[in-house]
Amino acid sequence: MFSHRLILLATPRQIGVLDWRPGRMHWLGEFAADTAGLAAFRQIVVKHAQLPMLLVADTVDEDYRSEILPHVQGHARAELLARKLKQVFRNARFTGAWRQTRETAGRRDDRYLLAAFTDADWLTPWLSVLHRERVPLSGITPLAMACQQLLSKLRAQEPHTLLACRLNNSLRLSYYHNGLLRFSRLIGSDTPTQLPGNVADEIAKTQLYLAGQRILPREARLHVLLLDPSGQLDSAQAPLNADPAFSARLIDMPSLARALRIPDDFLAATPEVAPLAAIAGEAVQLNLAPPELLQRHTEFRWRRSLNLAAGITAAIGLTLTATYWLHAQDLRDQALQIQSEVQRGDARHAAIVRNFPALATRPDQLGLTLALATQLNRAPLDVNALLIPLGQALSAHPEVVVKALTLQDTADGTADITLEARLSDFDGNYRAAMSRIDRFVARLAATPGVASVERLTSPVDTASTATLTGKTTGENAPEETRFSLSLQVRT
Amino acid sequence: MTRPPLASLKTSMLLLLAAVLMAAAGIFWSHQQDTEARAALQAQQTALHAAHARQEQGRTEARLIAQHIDAYHALIARGFVGEENRLAWIEAVHLANRDARLYGLTYTLSPRTVAPATLAGGLPLKQTRMVVKMPLLVETDLPRFLDALRARTPGVFRVSRCRLARITDTPPQPVNRPELDAECELLWFTVAADGKEAK
Repeated sequence: MFSHRLILLATPRQIGVLDWRPGRMHWLGEFAADTAGLAAFRQIVVKHAQLPMLLVADTVDEDYRSEILPHVQGHARAELLARKLKQVFRNARFTGAWRQTRETAGRRDDRYLLAAFTDADWLTPWLSVLHRERVPLSGITPLAMACQQLLSKLRAQEPHTLLACRLNNSLRLSYYHNGLLRFSRLIGSDTPTQLPGNVADEIAKTQLYLAGQRILPREARLHVLLLDPSGQLDSAQAPLNADPAFSARLIDMPSLARALRIPDDFLAATPEVAPLAAIAGEAVQLNLAPPELLQRHTEFRWRRSLNLAAGITAAIGLTLTATYWLHAQDLRDQALQIQSEVQRGDARHAAIVRNFPALATRPDQLGLTLALATQLNRAPLDVNALLIPLGQALSAHPEVVVKALTLQDTADGTADITLEARLSDFDGNYRAAMSRIDRFVARLAATPGVASVERLTSPVDTASTATLTGKTTGENAPEETRFSLSLQVRT
Repeated sequence: MTRPPLASLKTSMLLLLAAVLMAAAGIFWSHQQDTEARAALQAQQTALHAAHARQEQGRTEARLIAQHIDAYHALIARGFVGEENRLAWIEAVHLANRDARLYGLTYTLSPRTVAPATLAGGLPLKQTRMVVKMPLLVETDLPRFLDALRARTPGVFRVSRCRLARITDTPPQPVNRPELDAECELLWFTVAADGKEAK
């Protein structure tokens, strides 16, 4: 789509139009340089005004100069070339320079080919049509440049090649050094070139001219390629090959069609499309169009670039949007599937719960409640078990009279027993009484199951921190021997 | 490439601008959609995990119910679950006193309070303090009374404290006359429930 273009082959007598796109081309016809031809050409141009067009000119009024200029770049190069073109071709309107290569020795200057149409008034009517119809003209280039692309397609490897091409009853001789155009001339139809000998003579004269101008080295052997769809140049091959300075070869139509990838019959019907098809897909290297004629094409390229950028942006946006959206749809589908799975799970749960009996507590507390009941049913304060060791100790000490007994559950696996007692008889000997109580305490402490025994009160508190009162009147009462103990018993 | 007048490129620039805006809007919108869908999916996955957990919990609870329901009903019948059954407790201490062939008793029931958390184990366990006072002939009457109470009562109780005190300071006489005063503090336990069945 972006390479679709029209290639115009203009001669002073006519103009041919090739509708070209990669892999497909269509010859739109030839239009004579008269009023009718211009009108018909205009119709064609109007129809394809949106396409870029390249004008290939085939004229005798052309001039080529090889120049070696200092290597400069950018604006300096543009100014240098403008000055040089002005100097060489003076007031010619259609001029151009092509930087072909760079010298490998010395200052490493640039080698340029300067070219111009010295008389291009015949182009004006055609260009006027293009200008009026605002056609994006991409360039104006000589036919020899198109032939250079033709040589490239034919894979001509020889360093010194002369292409003799007979089209539109004219013979064009173009010299290429290492595949790059150095010189070209057109011998018009009014020149008697029909005779093979004359063609060979013209080629020989051209060779002499090129050698004389030091364009072609004298000792170089010139490889001549003869291209003539009508076959009139075939007979020039033998005389040329007879001269050791030449080696001539014919280019047959099938080989050319194959190289250009166009049908044989199409090429046979319109042989002039050969150089046009060769240059159609290539960039214009030698452009002779003045800048004002290229303005539309500049706009066209900018517009096309912007439109391309818009298209790419839209495509990227669309692709990303579609990707995100499709991904979102996929996630939504997954969410819906999970949602239905959740609903099914909830329904199953509801079915399970529906069969639950009415409970006063949560189901997970059933087991806890049962365990708690079991735990509480175990009596930590087994009174009978507590009384047995106490009874054994009391049996061993009949002088101890129990006044009160308090059993207390401490809920940590032990029970507290507070024992209040007195001795059954007392003779006033507190030392002996304390000794009996001590033995009773020792007996209790040694009883299995008793963790500890602590004396809370004694008949006589001999602690240095306590206040001790008493009397020694000789009257003794058993109540004076009251004491209390605290026992910790394992349950 | 020489730059042409902007006016000649106005349409193309507008086209590019429109493409950029539409692409940005489309990407933004679809990205929002994607983010929302991702969040919705996340929420559904969370809901699914919760549903699986509920389902598993339901199965576990069904197993627990099947395993414990009979014993639990028995506890309800005993009065351990639900409101306190003071009449049954009073009857129980009375009958236990009679079974132990003792000489009567006096009791005091305090208002129901919350049991210590260390004992409750997370359950709404309540406790009711009952102080029982009775005369005894000998010390061994007390364990006999408590054993008889355990045999009689349907409820769950614990003996918190017991005090035995001699009534007189005279030596024991071989007559059938109580010489000891016993005072016991019993804790009756109940698990509060708000279900119909417990009421």
